[in-house]
Amino acid sequence: MPASLQDNDELQLTAYCDGEIDPVAAGEFERRMAADDKLQARYTRLMSLRKAMQALPQADLPSDLQARIQAKLNTEQANAERANTVGNVTVLRRRGWSFQALAASALLGAVISGSVLKTIDRLGQDDTVASEVVAGHIRGLLAPQPFDIASSDRHTVKPWFTSRLPESPQVPDLAAQGFVLLGGRVDVIENRPVATIVYKHAAHTVSLTTLKRGQSVPDQNIAGYNIRSWSDGNFTYVAVCDLPSTDLAVFERAFAAASPAPEIKQ
Amino acid sequence: MPVSVVQNKDDRNTFDEIFLPYLPEAYRLAQWLSGNASDAEDIVQEAAIRAFRGIKGFGAVNARAWSLTIVRNTALSWLTKNRSRKVTYINDLNLSEQQELEHEGLHGARIETPEETVLLKADAERLQKALAQLPTQFREVLVLREINQMNYRDIAEITNVPIGTVMSRLSRGRQLLIALLGDQE
Repeated sequence: MPASLQDNDELQLTAYCDGEIDPVAAGEFERRMAADDKLQARYTRLMSLRKAMQALPQADLPSDLQARIQAKLNTEQANAERANTVGNVTVLRRRGWSFQALAASALLGAVISGSVLKTIDRLGQDDTVASEVVAGHIRGLLAPQPFDIASSDRHTVKPWFTSRLPESPQVPDLAAQGFVLLGGRVDVIENRPVATIVYKHAAHTVSLTTLKRGQSVPDQNIAGYNIRSWSDGNFTYVAVCDLPSTDLAVFERAFAAASPAPEIKQ
Repeated sequence: MPVSVVQNKDDRNTFDEIFLPYLPEAYRLAQWLSGNASDAEDIVQEAAIRAFRGIKGFGAVNARAWSLTIVRNTALSWLTKNRSRKVTYINDLNLSEQQELEHEGLHGARIETPEETVLLKADAERLQKALAQLPTQFREVLVLREINQMNYRDIAEITNVPIGTVMSRLSRGRQLLIALLGDQE
């Protein structure tokens, strides 16, 4: 007779073994297990597997590995420095122009290429930023819940951000305007942790990600999600939702009106 | 306008503070992902260089997860690159098992394990062999959980999947291991 546990039980059992379910659910699960020999047996088996894996013999770190890594990095650093120097010298030699012309053209070139590069860089970055923000939103929707801290109380969400991030936004409750505060999460945008506030509007989840001030993210549609961005004195906000952009405009107005005085920790 | 691409001394110090403390763990992870010790050394060295080059991208949140993410990614690309020389683990499973693995998640077919395999006779060598036979996405969550002792959240961050997927992969990975260990009786 094959085992007849439901998939859901299997997942609960896994989470229970790993100590990843909340105390209330754990208590409930223990009561069920006490009344169910088969479930109890599965638990014992999983735990014996866990113990066996944890007891696997571990090879020690080779004693010279750290030294070898340091040596490699030294070489890498030295090579890069040399490459830089050689590159500069070659450029100077190749041009047979007068020094003044050279200086002038170099300066002009630097200004042009600098600003062009910056623009290209910025364009590329904005694109990445927008898709990273959307990725955060999608990840939130796929997870069991779209937030790390669940609370409709702004006085819970704000301190939660403050304790985790150097800069945290105001967290207004916009329930009166139709956007119910669900909670907050930390997204990683361009390798930096940023605050994302999560609201619910009817059946739609709105993620509001806060970026450094001065970053501009064009309004657009990525993967079926509308993106609307605006800035105030301290942050650039990016709202992501499958709502029409007109509704996101309403959201922007509601949010902007409710957080008139953004503050920064420190 | 000279743009310095060279990492400076501060970067080196940051690297020392961020990455080096996790070297033993990085080595263990690489070893269990690649399946042998000398490959693990190569992987850790390459990961260290990647970490150093990318040290400016460290977001100052979780140094351990950041470092192990790089090690994990390096190990995976290393495994892909060297696949021709390596055993392709997934082929060790039979066809129906492979198909089951393709449909992971809540509604995927469950792996049947005999009821009587309650107590595992899992000596280290057999367990090691069974672990090596698992497809990478199961092996990595199990290694991160049991060997590196990370919680679901960190595993999700490192493997870049939602927490729910971490949970279902752990569940199915363990059932697979139990089935593999049972078969070898």
